[in-house]
Amino acid sequence: MSTTSPSRWKTVRSETGRALTALVIALAVALVVILLTSADPGAAFQTLLTAPLSSNRTMGLWIDDVAKLTLTGLAFSLVFQARQFSMGVQGQVYMGGLFAALIAMSPIGATPLAIPVAMLAAMCAGAVYGFIPGYAKARFGASEIVSSLMLNYIAILVVNYLIRAHLAPAGTGQLMTAKFPDTAIFPAILPGTRFDLGIVIALVSALAVWFLLYRTSWGLKLRLVGHNPKFAEYAGIRSSFIMVSAMTVAGAFGGLLGSVFVQGRAFGNLAQNFDGNLAFEGILIAIVARSRPLAVPIVALAYGYLRQGAQLMGIRTDVPTEMISVVQAIIILLVASSFSLPGKKLFARLRGQKSANAATPEAAK
Amino acid sequence: MIELLLTVFSATFFVTVVRTTTPLLFAALGGLISDLSGALNVALEGMMLIAALTAVIVSVYAPWYVAVLSGVAAGAMLGALMAFFHLRLKADIILVGFAVNILATGGTVFALSRATGGDKGTSINLPSKAVPGVDLSFLEAIPAVGPTLKSLLSGHSILSWLGVFMVFAVWYFLFRTPYGLWLRGVGEYPAAPEAAGIPVAKVRAWSLVASGALAGIGGAQLAMFNYIGFTRDMTAGRGFIALGAVLLGARHPVGAMLAALLFGIFEALAIVMPNLFNWIPGEMIQTIPFVVTVLALILFSYRAQRARQMRTLSKI
Repeated sequence: MSTTSPSRWKTVRSETGRALTALVIALAVALVVILLTSADPGAAFQTLLTAPLSSNRTMGLWIDDVAKLTLTGLAFSLVFQARQFSMGVQGQVYMGGLFAALIAMSPIGATPLAIPVAMLAAMCAGAVYGFIPGYAKARFGASEIVSSLMLNYIAILVVNYLIRAHLAPAGTGQLMTAKFPDTAIFPAILPGTRFDLGIVIALVSALAVWFLLYRTSWGLKLRLVGHNPKFAEYAGIRSSFIMVSAMTVAGAFGGLLGSVFVQGRAFGNLAQNFDGNLAFEGILIAIVARSRPLAVPIVALAYGYLRQGAQLMGIRTDVPTEMISVVQAIIILLVASSFSLPGKKLFARLRGQKSANAATPEAAK
Repeated sequence: MIELLLTVFSATFFVTVVRTTTPLLFAALGGLISDLSGALNVALEGMMLIAALTAVIVSVYAPWYVAVLSGVAAGAMLGALMAFFHLRLKADIILVGFAVNILATGGTVFALSRATGGDKGTSINLPSKAVPGVDLSFLEAIPAVGPTLKSLLSGHSILSWLGVFMVFAVWYFLFRTPYGLWLRGVGEYPAAPEAAGIPVAKVRAWSLVASGALAGIGGAQLAMFNYIGFTRDMTAGRGFIALGAVLLGARHPVGAMLAALLFGIFEALAIVMPNLFNWIPGEMIQTIPFVVTVLALILFSYRAQRARQMRTLSKI
């Protein structure tokens, strides 16, 4: 980043302010929805806001979510920075999960190599799955949005079929595989909780994506292509190569998320529909983080808290978990748009500042 | 194989194709309008889903046409919401679209569990109504071709007939009215209509509203004819397939219809195939519409790209 430190801090401050304002507005709407639908709104809202801290176990659930949200947020950040709207993270998660599970259930699964090999296999599978829509776009001009979404559905159906017909223990009718051997499951950092290796992988990945984007020439080219494809083309950058490679690398992180899912302590096996729609929530993370890899874990921490609160609210009170999608949509809408509060200009004028504050360039796009 | 051919060339299969095509057709027409105005509507899926649920819930208390209209209104309102955030607040249209999709996947489940008293899966305990079919049994009186005509044409949803009419209506609007010209101009090169005094943002906003309304009819057909009642995630990617149909249909209503028909045929195949080939796993058959969409998209994009290259070459 070539920007000087003070202006960078200003951007960080204003972006944080925007995100927090969006969050407050979204929570206010959530409160209204809860007031309208719940028999005991106070308890429901309190559960939403405080439940994740209520025990070691729930904190483990929260951190587990943060790890996964960070990874999906990173995958989306990479493609958004290249200004590609590849929505294929879900499919990559399924493919990655499948291959990680295949390794974990093979003889390698019982050796100490199980975790690294399975992660590698998952990343390769995800990368291949990310490569397909990228190549289809670069070579044939096929819209990556539609093709990646179609590939998501295909991946889910294929993985569900393989689990049902081949991978589940025969004769039980279960829709999941048997537990992997212990050597193939991530070790817990805090025993008895879901606080496992996943969060470490997520943080290392965030650093790796940051390094790729901001400290390599590939990352510079990628950001250039995302920012101004015509200029990048004039500057001699092969934008189609950058496009495909960005989607492939993002696919690798999607695949890695698949391995974190199936090998994490939450599952330890491969089950049908295991992602619980979490993969798509990376869109929100990436948008709020403005596709900055180092901001992704922080946003994931905050959003994961909210998500876990909603899960617990769904279990402990009469408000369904799905209510949170209202909050998600509002946050995306507000953060993606250049909204300003009605009174903001007036406030700025009162303080004697210039109200013509140039809008910050939308880095998320 | 013979059985498959016999099935495919039967009247029942044709009726199934019409049924599976109708929601795709409406959504594709909606997507076409907003795409021509320069805003790719990726929220067709969410609009259909929300419209489907709205229609089902309203149909419990009101006649079917009120229910369909309320579905249309729900879609149109989502279109207006997208227009507001995209045009007034300058948010990226694709991100806005996905926000609507996220709202739809969770919001419909939330609303469903409110409406049914806790059921998060289906609306099976709500007495919802269906869109009536059009009975054309009088065609049977025609000598020779009568029975065939009847089995082909009778019993389709009113909305299917409306769909055929809408293809014509959208074509007429786009290519024979000044507003259609505005709309295409706004999508093609916004600076020119802007200079000519055409309210660009307004045209885009209305096309998003129209897009939502059309997707809303598709959602109503899905939940009030194809299936009676709402199930969680019942659109199952149809909105995205319709988006593929828009891209495949060469930005023309008739093209969009043909593309929707193509995907409808494969969806119908996925419905009849389990009975014929029970050795093929059901999940694999369900992937057919998605696989066909990807392949068709790639093939068509490739041909379009070739055609562009040829044109450029011939100019030199």
